[in-house]
Order: sequence, then C-alpha cells, then structure tokens
Amino acid sequence: MKIRRLLPVVAMALAASAVLVSCSSSTTSSATTGTLNFVNDKSWDFKSFSKVSQKDIKVSLNSSTYADQPAFQAFVKQSFRTNKSPGLFTWHTGDQLDQLVKQNLVADTSSIWKKAVANGQIAKSVEDLYTVKGKQYCTPISVDDWVMYYDKKTFAKYGLTAPTTWTEMMSDAAVLKKNGIAPFWSSGGDPWAFVWFQILLAGTDLQLYKDLSTGKASYTDPKVVAVMNVWLDMEKKGYFSDPGSKTAPETQMKDGKLAMIPFGTWYASTIDQVGLKPGSDWGVFTIPAINPSQGKTPVAIETAPACVAQNSSQKALGLKYSAWWMTSEAQTAWSKQQNNLPYNPKATAATQTFVDAGKELATPGKYETYLRYYEATPQVILTEALDEFTGFMTNPGDPTKYLEGIQKVADTYWKSNK
Amino acid sequence: MTTTTSHKATSYQRSAWAFLGPGAAVVVLVLYLPVLYTVYLSFTTYSGLGSPVFAGVANYVALVQDPVFVTSLVNTLIWVAGSLLIPVGIGLVVAYLSFGLKGAAWLRVPFLIPYALSGVAVGIVFGFVLQNGGALSQALAFLHLPGSETRWLQEAPLNTVVMILAASWQGIGVNALLFTVGLQSIPKEPLEAARVDGASGWRLFRFMVWPLLRPSTTIVVGLSIVNSLKTFDIVQAMTQGGPNRVSETLGVSMYRDTFSNSDYGLGSAVAIFLSIITVAASVIYVRRQLAIGDSSGDTASKDA
Amino acid sequence: MVSKVLRYGILGIMGLIWLLPIYLLLANAGKSTADYSGDALWTPGSVTGLVDNVVAVFQTTDVPSGLGITFVYAIVAPIIAVALGAGIAFAVIVLKVKHGFFWFFVIFCGTVFPLQMMLIPWFSVYAKIGLFDTVPGMIIIYSVVALPFSAFVMRNFFAGIAPSVFEAAVVDGAGTWRIFTRIFLPMSTSALVVVFILQATWVWNDFLISLILTQSPSTRPVMPLLNALQSVEGGGPGYTVILTAALVVSIPTALLFGFTQRFFQRGLSLGQY
Repeated sequence: MKIRRLLPVVAMALAASAVLVSCSSSTTSSATTGTLNFVNDKSWDFKSFSKVSQKDIKVSLNSSTYADQPAFQAFVKQSFRTNKSPGLFTWHTGDQLDQLVKQNLVADTSSIWKKAVANGQIAKSVEDLYTVKGKQYCTPISVDDWVMYYDKKTFAKYGLTAPTTWTEMMSDAAVLKKNGIAPFWSSGGDPWAFVWFQILLAGTDLQLYKDLSTGKASYTDPKVVAVMNVWLDMEKKGYFSDPGSKTAPETQMKDGKLAMIPFGTWYASTIDQVGLKPGSDWGVFTIPAINPSQGKTPVAIETAPACVAQNSSQKALGLKYSAWWMTSEAQTAWSKQQNNLPYNPKATAATQTFVDAGKELATPGKYETYLRYYEATPQVILTEALDEFTGFMTNPGDPTKYLEGIQKVADTYWKSNK
Repeated sequence: MTTTTSHKATSYQRSAWAFLGPGAAVVVLVLYLPVLYTVYLSFTTYSGLGSPVFAGVANYVALVQDPVFVTSLVNTLIWVAGSLLIPVGIGLVVAYLSFGLKGAAWLRVPFLIPYALSGVAVGIVFGFVLQNGGALSQALAFLHLPGSETRWLQEAPLNTVVMILAASWQGIGVNALLFTVGLQSIPKEPLEAARVDGASGWRLFRFMVWPLLRPSTTIVVGLSIVNSLKTFDIVQAMTQGGPNRVSETLGVSMYRDTFSNSDYGLGSAVAIFLSIITVAASVIYVRRQLAIGDSSGDTASKDA
Repeated sequence: MVSKVLRYGILGIMGLIWLLPIYLLLANAGKSTADYSGDALWTPGSVTGLVDNVVAVFQTTDVPSGLGITFVYAIVAPIIAVALGAGIAFAVIVLKVKHGFFWFFVIFCGTVFPLQMMLIPWFSVYAKIGLFDTVPGMIIIYSVVALPFSAFVMRNFFAGIAPSVFEAAVVDGAGTWRIFTRIFLPMSTSALVVVFILQATWVWNDFLISLILTQSPSTRPVMPLLNALQSVEGGGPGYTVILTAALVVSIPTALLFGFTQRFFQRGLSLGQY
C-alpha cells in the first residue's frame, strides 16, 4: 500500500546522493587563496579572530574544532599519512610535540622564533618549550601562567586577604572551612586530577618535579610520598571541593560554596560567563611555594601551540599565519577577545586584574616557570597518573599503592624510551 | 549447518543473489576490511605515527597480564546481565501493558523521548542526577529518604549498577517499540482459541503470547547482548571508567589504550578479544533462535 | 475493566518518572548561566530564559548551520539501509538463498565490531580515494553501519509471514521483484518504519564517525558542532546555552517519534482476552 510512495523516495535518495558525489568531488583545493585550514581542539572564537587576520594580512581561518581530545590527536596523527594534513593545527608541547618532531612531521619555525625573540615579542623561557634538539617547532597562540582565582566577596566577608605565603594560604583555608566553604577546587578524572599534585610537588621541590617528568626520579621516592601526605592531610582537613561533583568550579564559586580555584589565565573568559566580574568579584594571586627556601616561586605555565604540518599543501600560508600570531597587534587583539594575559610584553592585557598579575609575574628574580604536569609527563604515564590521583582523591588514604601503580607504568615507559 | 537451515532452497537462486548481493558486498567491504586491519595491528606495536612494527602476541600477553583487564571483563559481564534484565524486561512490560489500549502510542512517548536525546544532553542529565549532591541526592534529602549521602558514581560496583539504570532510561523505549511491532504481528486466532479454553492473564502471556513473540525477543535480546558487550559512551561520559578504573568496561579499555595512550596494538588486541566474545555469544544465542525462527515460518504455514 | 485502569495507572506513573530527567533538562535550560546553580537543580527556569538561550544558540553558535546536512544524512542513509536490509531478508527468508544462514550471520556480525576501531582505517582509505569530507562518503558509511540492524529486524519480520503468501503470488505469475515491492514491503510497514526511525535517530545523534570523517561546514553534522562548544580550557558559550543547544538538536528526533506513532496504533486489544 505505502510501497508505491516509498519506491520513488528511495530512487530519489539514490539520485540525490549521486548528484552529491559529482558536486563534492570538486572540493579538494590546493591553491593558497588566503583561506587557511585550521584544525584545533579549542572552543575559542577563531571566527572573530579570523576577521582580524583577514584585515591585517589577508589570510582568514577556516577552523574545524575537535573537542574530544583523544579523537583529535588520533585524527591529526593519521592525517600526516594523507594529503589532508592541516596547514595549521593546535597541539601540546612536551612529549606530544617530541613525538611529532621525532617523525619529522612538523615544520621548522626557528627563523620565526629568532626574529620574535630579537624583537622582544616573547620571553626566551617560552622558546625552550618549543625547542626540540636545538630547533624550534610551532608557535604559541597563548602562554598561560597558572594562578589562583579567589572569590573576593567571600574573602572580604571573613576578613581575609590574598595570601603571599603558603602558611597564610593554609590559615585562610582553615577559616573558610570553619565557615562551611570549600577552600580549594579539586576535580578527578582527565584532565584535572593532576592539579594539586603539581602545585604541591613543584612548590616543595621543583627539581624533583622535573626529574620525575624526565624519568630520573621515581614516584615511590620518599620525598614524593611526603608530598602526597601533605595532600592527604589537606584532604583530611576537608580543604577541597568534592572531586565527584560535576558542577563547574565557577558555578560553585558563584554559589558561594568555593573560594579558590587554581587555573591558567585562560580561565578568565570562562569565569566571566557566570556573571562574576574581575576586580570586584574575583581576583588572582600567584600560588605561593610550600617550601620558600627554593628561592624563586615556581609558576606552572602551559602554552597552546599552533603547528604547521611539514607535508601540508598550505605550509607557506600556515607559517605566515604563525609568525603574525606572535606580533603585538595580533596578541593585543587575541587577548582582548580571550580576556587573558598576552605573552607578548608589548601587547596589553584586557583587564586591570591581568595587567597587575602580568606585572607581578614579571618581577625580576621572583618567579620561575615550569611546564605544567599535563604536558611535561609522557602520555602513557599521564593517563595512569590521572587515574591513580582520582582514586586517591575519591578514597583518601595511604598514597603508596597509587604511587606504585604510576611507577609501574613509568618503569615500562622509560625502559623503552630513553 | 547449511543443509538444515537452507532447507529446500528455491529455484530463485539468481534473483535471490540480486537481493542479497549488494548488501552483503558493502558490509564485507566497509565493515570487514577494517577488522582485518585491526587484527593485523593487534600483532604490532604502533603509536599512530610511523609504521607498525611486528610484535607477535606481545599485546595479547600484556592484555591478559593487566590487572584491570579482569575488572573490565567483569564489569562488561555485569552490563550484559543487567541489560538483559532491566531494559529488555521493562521494555516488554511497557509494550505489553500499553498494547491495544486507546492512546497506547502516546503512553509510550515518554519512554521514547530519552532515545531521541543527543548524547550531550544525556551526559548532562546523568551528571545532574548522579553526581555527589546532585538531583537524586537533593530529592532524597528533600523527601527525608536515606541515600542522600551516597556517592553513586564513585563506589564500585554501585556505579556500574546505576549506569545500567541510566542506560535503561534511554533504552527501554526502543525495546518497547520492537516488542510492540512483534505483538502486532501475532495472529489473532490462536489467542482467541486460548481464551475460549479459559486462559487469561499470566497464563495467556506465558503460554501464548511469549512463544509467539519469539521473533521480536530474538531481535531485542540479540541486540542487547551485542550492544552491552560494547558498552562505551555512557561510561566514558559518566565516570571515564573511574575512579581509578573501577568502572571500566572492555569498550572503555580499548578507547583508553588506543586513543588516550596511542597504543594501537594493545587497543586492537582488546577490540579483537571483545569481538570474539561477542561473536561467540551471538553464535550461541542468535543461531539457536534463528534456526527456530526459520522453522517457525513453516509451522505458521501449517497452522494457517 | 479494572485491569485496564490498572494498566493506564502503571504506565502513567512510569511515564512521569521517565519524564523527570527531561524536566531537569528543561528547567536548567531555562536559566541564564549566572542563575544556574548546582544546588538547586530542581528549581524551574523561566520561559524567557529558555527563549534567550535558544536565541543565543542560533546567534552565537555554529550548531544550527549543521542542521540541513544532518537532515540529509538522517533521511537518505536509513532509507538505503532499510531497502538493502529488506532485500537481504527477502533473499534469505523468502527466496531461501543457498547458505542463507551463513550469509545472514556474516551480515549480522557487522554490528559486532566496535565502531571506534573502524575510524582510523575509514579515514585513511577515505583520504586516499577522495571520499573524506564528502556527503556521499558519509552516506555510504552511515547506510552500511545501519544495514545489519535493518537486515536483522526485517529478517525476523519476514519469518513471520507465511510461505503460502509467496507461493500464491508465484501462482499468480508475479516476479520476485514484484512480490518484494508489492506484497512483502507493504505487509511490513510498521517494521520498516521502526527500522527507519531508529536508524535515523542513530545517524542524527552520531558524533564520532562524523567527527573524524568530516571537516568543512558543508559536510559537518550537528553533533560534532555541538561537542565543539565544550572544551575544558574555556571559551565557547555558557553552560546553559550548551544545554539548550543539546535540547534544540534533539527536537527533530523527538518529533520523528511523535509523528510516526500512528504506525504503531493498530493492533488487537489484549485487554479483551
């Protein structure tokens, strides 16, 4: 009965797909027409930014976002084997970048860096993150320092001020806890389970942190165990928000239930979304070191690199865009759009809060940056560590078995990757 | 096997191939070739970059030696059992209760809407309901019922159980729909005859409806087995297999190895292992059921 | 009569419980990100809040731009799958092709292998043969992945049709194609509709396949676009806007279920027995 109607539909569908085959086969372009294919894993507004670059250097971005991190990485890695390798793509520094460089897959950006450093567009310390065996690869979209975001209203209510030492921070935490507010944000799972391990370990012994990420030290080292016990002590005192909550930290802060959130400077645009304003509602302070005898206070940094595939048909266009992104014009526009802290010292931050933070972090001799755990740790060890840390946070107790679990994976990894 | 099932092959072999051929060809081409490639990868070491290096059975050895492998396998089996019990069972209840009622289709709509939701919406709603201090805990506290302090997603095996319930919320409507179609195709005559014999209620269901529903039961149970063995999406969205891998299923292990760790060889080994048990389960279940299905076509003709 | 009331009662209560999570979604989609609170999930939002969020979805996100192409995938691919699946079922059950069970099992086992593992091989091959990031490429994958389910359901449905139907048609002098299209397909409308709506919903909600195999705005369906709104390192719209977007893209599939319900209205009333 209905089949007479169904058949033409099937026929039409087949015909339609045949037409579509013939149409879409012409979409493969090889020319450098000024539109650069940009594959990324960030929900940032590249569309608006594309308008800026279009005006400035006549190159616009055709951006495709892959927010699922593992799928994104698999896709990019596979694309190098095809003629679809991207003209520009976001990536991660550290082990992830090393893997690509080892296989000769990303374009050398040494000359771009030479010029940028010479012109004072970027700090030399950032260059190290982009250096593999003496050469530079990729360029930074942004460089984010990790700071502590704090709820100014709550702090004022209990007569607290932004702490400058670890002891002060702990006594603030005790006051907050007594008043039923979770002092610090903490979350399990991928990606944020590493945050407190990083803060506590680097704040105690930065060299140990670095040795751990290069396989020179062991996770079962008594000094690492001691750091975990500091973490455990804080857990036991109830200083952390529930790692099993899926409510975003900014929402918890807005609800007045959470006072401090450690994050990179990129977090400003997110915290704004819930209606909290910089300066009046929230501020930032640099996270003090547990062990002040280290001299300089360690500050974690992360950086979002944009890379160009060596075999991409848009290599020249991609490199042109990379160089432009580092200029002060581009960085000012970028930071204005993202509300974050521009790495180019000649560009200006969008808010007074970050102007101040930028000035503080630039104090000579006071701070030392280090690569955050997520990039510094080889992928396989990281995956295991995030799981183990989550287990530790969920059921706080003797840290030994969790550390042994990570070390087991680390042993296997370092045996085959010297 | 073939002689029993393709009993009295008709003289339409040529046109039969015209009907079967296109489908069979594309399935083999699109779905089986990647499997062969994965079988090959499972015997290699491959990071996604460069070329795979032959590694013998090393991946399978590593797989079996991984302590989490057992957890993962056990969780997967809990998923299979739970999916057969809850979504299939309640799906049948919903279909049977609503069948023949006026406005039955609309009574089933609430059960179908969850299936229509996007994965993101489903992930968010389960986050709302099941997180510590979430909607479920808030409701329990409001009603002064126990359990408001329970950490639903953080204790094993509780987290697997509540995730099965969450998956059931989404899956029951589809099962009910498939059962409804099955109920519709049940001939009226035998039921009438049974009623004349005085059968009603449970007896009518158990001895008349249930056997006649077999074609639908086969579909629903067969698909439930296959899909629950492959469970991935909801666990990845809810717990990522955690905390500390206690709620991991084989599907999640596979994704973790392949995509998070770029260990394609190990991930492929998990995938192959998973496929083998799925095929085995399907052979055991589907083959028996389908063989019966074939002959029931004949019995139907005898009855008619 | 009592049993009928009871049946209405049980289904009604269960239905309400089933709708509670939907209520949670709607209630929170009706709040602005500033109003949303993790401690008051049950408090309702406002209609104006919902409207504002819907407007934000259409004005500030890319999600609506993918709706058109998603419709194409979700309609064309399931139709192909249903047609090919019914053909397979017809060949195996009615025409009794030789080694029919073997071939059917081969096709059924196409559902066994985890899809995630197919992505990389599909991508490599598609990039080589020029089907990557094309509409036909996506339709082919979707149709084939939906095919085994379709064949499975249709096979079991045809198994319930008496062989005498086929024999009578042969006596009347009808060819196999005619018997298939004029007799068997019309007899199984509800099964065809079930397969179609379930597969259309699956295609509509697919995320991973389209994430890897499409790239440009003209081929990318809604789910990867929706997913792209939520990255862990900030950016993108507010949480309740994402929630609203996730609901907005669910409307077409929910409507599909609503509109196709009349196909399942028929049937005898078991209550009489």
